[in-house]
Parts: sequence; C-alpha cells; structure tokens
Amino acid sequence: MQIALQLFRSFLLIGIGAYGGGLVTIPLIQHEIVVNQQWLTFDQMASLLAVAQMTPGPIAVNAATFVGFQVNGVMGAAIATFAVILPAILILLWLAPFVDRISHNRSVFKIRQGIQLGVLSLILYATWSYGAIAIKGWLDLLIGIAAFAVLVAFEGKLHPIAVILACGVVGLLVF
Amino acid sequence: MNRYDDQHNNREQKGRPVTDLILFWTFFRIGSLTLGGGLAMATVMRHELVLKRQWLTDEDFMAEMSLATLVPGAIAVNVAYLQGRRLRGKAGAATAVFATVLPAFGLILLIANVALLYFNHLWVAAFLRGCAIAVGGQLAFAGFIFGRRYLRNWQNAVVCAVGLAIVAGLQWHPVAAVLATGGLGYLLCKPSQPSDLLPE
Repeated sequence: MQIALQLFRSFLLIGIGAYGGGLVTIPLIQHEIVVNQQWLTFDQMASLLAVAQMTPGPIAVNAATFVGFQVNGVMGAAIATFAVILPAILILLWLAPFVDRISHNRSVFKIRQGIQLGVLSLILYATWSYGAIAIKGWLDLLIGIAAFAVLVAFEGKLHPIAVILACGVVGLLVF
Repeated sequence: MNRYDDQHNNREQKGRPVTDLILFWTFFRIGSLTLGGGLAMATVMRHELVLKRQWLTDEDFMAEMSLATLVPGAIAVNVAYLQGRRLRGKAGAATAVFATVLPAFGLILLIANVALLYFNHLWVAAFLRGCAIAVGGQLAFAGFIFGRRYLRNWQNAVVCAVGLAIVAGLQWHPVAAVLATGGLGYLLCKPSQPSDLLPE
C-alpha cells in the first residue's frame, strides 16, 4: 500500500511537470525515479528511454507503465499510468468548456511562453545531467556529438528514432 | 483541399453518427501509430481527426492543440480528452483517453515481461548503450532548436536563466522550475503564438 502511494505521488508530480510531453520528461524521471526513489538505476532508465522512443505512445506514459510494473507488478503499472495522466485530465475537466476563449487569450499565451522557457531550461539542464552520466568516455562523447550533428544537419527531415537505432548499431559494433 | 483529401471525402462514411466504438478505434490507432510521442503526434492526429474522420476543421484542431499544450501531460492524451468530450461528452472523453493509452500500456507490459530478461545480454546491452548516448544527443538537439526559437529577447533569456538556476543551482524539483517560469512569463514575456507549437 505504501509503495502504491509512493508510485502514485511520484508519477503525479511527473504528470504535472511534463509540459509538451516528450523529452522534458527525462529530467523529471531522472529526478523522481533514479535520484529520489531509486526505483531504477541510471542505466536502466537510459535503456527505458531508448525503448520508450521506439515504441508507440507518449514517453511519460511508457515510463509510467514500465516503472510501475517494475516496482509493483501490473497493479503498479496501472496506478503509475493513471497517476501520470491524472493532472492533465483534471485541469482539462476544468478548462475544456472555455477552449475557444482560452486559445485566444493573451495572458494565457504569456504564461505559456514562460512555461516553454522553463521546459527549455529543463532540457538544457538534462543535456548536462543526463549526458554527464550516459557519456563514459571519449568514444561515447564522439558518438553523442555525431548524433547531435546528424540531427542538426538533417533538421526536421530525419525521424529521431532513425538516429537512435543507428547509434544502437554503432554501439553493437564498438562496445 | 488537395486531391488526396477529396479521395478521402468520397470514401468516408460522412454523416454517420460517431459511436463509442469508432471513437475508441480512432484513438487506438492514434495511440498505436505515434512513435516517440510529443509533437510528432500532431501530424498523425491531424490526419486521423481532420482529414480522415472530418470531426473538426483545421482551425478547431489548432484551438484544441493550443489548449492541449497549455496543460501538462502528453499531448496525444490531452487531445484525446478534448476530442472525445466534444463528440460524446465525458464518457467519450474517458473512452478516447483509455484508447490512446492502451496500446502503449499493453506493449510496455509485454516488453517489461519479456525483453527485460535480455537487457543484460552482451549484445543487447551494447545496442542499448549506443541508443542511450543518442538520447543525450537528442536532448542537446532539442535544447538547440528550442533555444534558437525562444531565446529571442532578454526577457525570455532571463526567464530561462531563472529556470536553470532553480533546477541546476538550487537543485529543486524540476516541477518547481516549470511553475516558477510560468508565473514569471506572465510578468515578463510577450505572448507566444499557437503556431510556435508546431514543428516547422
């Protein structure tokens, strides 16, 4: 019961912070799941993130299902997945009747601009905090820089999964 | 409207009432087809909801996207809620959200049960280590793209720096950084445009 409540609380927090979904969940998961609760090691989390990007569905939902299952079986998976989408649903329940008014409101756009900048700061921080652990040597750094360079060079024309898979194959050859 | 759309117009069963089953099936497809999550889903959702099903116009879709990105959480789930609610009320919202999450939930359970055993296998570990490094490169790329797009004036730079100070300097919870920058954005920032949200 204790563990179920902790799962619920952790993924509720991740659900509140995951603006725009996707990569911004990485610093949140690292903070909550690896550092605070220690349910996964960093390497397990890194593998999970790679798998989450190669499977359908939002990263936050994939991570919730996976970690929940690891910690407390199918029940845990259900609790964590429910918790991660709950904040969004509750806020939408409250805001949805005003969808047209909100989507043209200037104050709301200002708040959103601020949130987007917060997300940017999280991603910049995550590049450092994630990279510092994931990259263990010169070879790793070289692969990471190559991945970044390819993404920049083919900006928007290349699905990120292609780069992840390619780096996986490179890993297979060199590690 | 291009030719592709017209073909869809002819083929689609126009005017038929939206049943819970069609709603479920549409969002189950959206949940199954979107790899990687985030804004990549926008293209798939627009195709399914606007072009194929014609449940809403592009303008309505943008309004829904706008609200869906304003609240936290996965964009696909948020759009599912709004669209389900629009078509079939609260029960429809629940159906659409459930259908969107179900494929990911099932597949990850399967992976957690089966693939996990192989995570420590020599080859799999080497492959995943390569993938993990790529995720780092992807983070740097996202920082680069967002930074180029958003750090256009000093107000935005200040807000971003405050976010960094909270999460990297003070080591507070990342949620605190997002909430603080939202409030600071209200005081300092110029309004963002909905078009900023879609990939260029």
